[in-house]
Amino acid sequence: MSKVLAGFLLAACFATAQEPRQIMEEVQRRQRSESQHYEGTLEVIGNGSRIATKRWVFDRIGAFGASKGMLRFTVPAEVKGVGLLIVNHTGRASDQWLWRPNIGREQRIALQDRSTRFFGTDFSFEDLEERDVAQFDYKLLGDENNAWKLQSTPRKSSQYTYGYLWVKKDNYTIVKVESYNKKGLVRVIDYRDFELAKGIWTARTIEVADVTRNSRTTLKYDKLEYNLPMKDGDFTLDALRRGP
Amino acid sequence: MTGLLLFALLAQNFEQRGFIENQSFFYPQKAPNDSAQVVDQSAIRWEASYKVAPWLKLSGTLDARADTHRQVDRNARLDLDDRTAQRPALSLRELNATVHKGKVTAEFGRQIIRWGKTDILTPTDRFAPKDYLSSVVDSDFLAVPAARITIAAAKDSLDAIWQTWFTPSRIPLLNQRWTALNGVTVVDVGARYPGRSQFGLRWNHIAPRYEYSLSYFDGFNNLPLFDASFDPATATARAQRFYPSMRMYGADAAIPLPWLTLKGEAGYFTSTTPGAQDYVLYVIQVERQVKEWSLAGGYAGEAVTDGAGNPLSFTPDRGFSKSFVGHATLTIDVNRSLTVETAVRSAGSFVRFEYSQAFGEHWRVTPGVAWIRGEITDFLGQYHRNSYASLGVRYSF
Repeated sequence: MSKVLAGFLLAACFATAQEPRQIMEEVQRRQRSESQHYEGTLEVIGNGSRIATKRWVFDRIGAFGASKGMLRFTVPAEVKGVGLLIVNHTGRASDQWLWRPNIGREQRIALQDRSTRFFGTDFSFEDLEERDVAQFDYKLLGDENNAWKLQSTPRKSSQYTYGYLWVKKDNYTIVKVESYNKKGLVRVIDYRDFELAKGIWTARTIEVADVTRNSRTTLKYDKLEYNLPMKDGDFTLDALRRGP
Repeated sequence: MTGLLLFALLAQNFEQRGFIENQSFFYPQKAPNDSAQVVDQSAIRWEASYKVAPWLKLSGTLDARADTHRQVDRNARLDLDDRTAQRPALSLRELNATVHKGKVTAEFGRQIIRWGKTDILTPTDRFAPKDYLSSVVDSDFLAVPAARITIAAAKDSLDAIWQTWFTPSRIPLLNQRWTALNGVTVVDVGARYPGRSQFGLRWNHIAPRYEYSLSYFDGFNNLPLFDASFDPATATARAQRFYPSMRMYGADAAIPLPWLTLKGEAGYFTSTTPGAQDYVLYVIQVERQVKEWSLAGGYAGEAVTDGAGNPLSFTPDRGFSKSFVGHATLTIDVNRSLTVETAVRSAGSFVRFEYSQAFGEHWRVTPGVAWIRGEITDFLGQYHRNSYASLGVRYSF
């Protein structure tokens, strides 16, 4: 019993003594997987009532910084087939291309356009990126409800000037993010309904609130899988045009 | 039980979507050759694809149409090549097989092929004939029968296209308002289509701060010139469409800068057909997102390098040149948007407004207004009687 207590005390001392970057690197290490697949259901809620439901399928190959993602809408019918290719980079912001079947050409999403909302949802294009911890500076601000509160400041170009993150101490999951620009709070992202999937704690519900518009979007994960075999060739511009 | 299992397995690889749409056009003014002021058209489009194997996908699109203005053929046969002057009532718009292995993708059959990067006017988009029947300022793309092979690496891709059977752009009917004749009666005596196939190559390169393409096309202009004989006694002309040979040397580029994205596209066109000119078409445009606004604006230019040209032609691509062009879309919310498109020339201009609103997951209503002004001698100005209001209602499934 005393050994267990000592172990707990030691762990607690280690936890409190951690540097903010160490915390975020541990978050990233625990989230790391070779690939990810899920089907997402989005509900956009404006002025308190649901105004649209959309569904997409998301595939990712690779991990933080060096990953590539392919997102395709499946519902509603009028946006079915619309795709977004995201190529993340370790040293800079991602490259993104949007494919609309009715236009028949891909469109590169310019860096300065990443703050635009993604298809009317409360996610901006930038929010769909998967940035490496190396692209931020971190500062530990304190503890709240058994979670570390950190401040993150992007080193590279971003619509946000800084943000606050809450990281649960027991499983190193991010449970909340507040993002600010020069004018103040822009977005609040809440991560909920955590489940252990293939050893990775994953939020099955993500709620994004656009504070400036009084609008929010809820994304629920379905058919979540990690480490499925995927091919790099399915994450190219040609694959974006080719479709699923 | 086995049948159900087989059906479930087949259904997993089957995708479909489509829409039923009705569009109404209201013209405040009559045209000299067209007294109709209300035109209504309906369409059903069904797109289906089936993934036979991870490397093989079959896709097809079927269109069914009807209208009040005889822009759609009343004969309900299934059209396979989209060459008729009227829109077919039933059409196999697309039917193709996509084979993918490693870095190579091959597509065979009727397919929509798009090249280029700029909007409104796209000089290098040579495998994309359009349907100008209902409106010259708001046209739809047509598919072409072709073999397309794309070799794609992470940063570079090479696109080779061989179009076996010529598909012309569908031009306005001679007895309707989008053909501006001013008192002359013209009889369409058909078309002379090119006998040989068309070929094109496009190399695209992506870099962190820019991307560009170089393209080459050897084939025919999908927009016609006319051979005409005129009888002054009856003020009647007999016109036959023909399609001049065309070679294009093209380039396009997109450069995202800190405050905006710069896009450029240019094509140098040569022809050996008498009456066809050699010319350069180019577009320079900038794009920028400002909150919920997506803005694009630029200049489309043209320079004739050789040839006197044929005055009897229908060339909206060149007609939109020497213009300041702009496009703006406001995303009001997830269901509503507003689009404004314009082209302004020295002697003619148009502006089109479109408001679009979705109702539920299936319905969308799109009212719009197009306003065209200018002088009769100008490509846009000749349609000054054709300003219109439109209403589109679409059910997507």
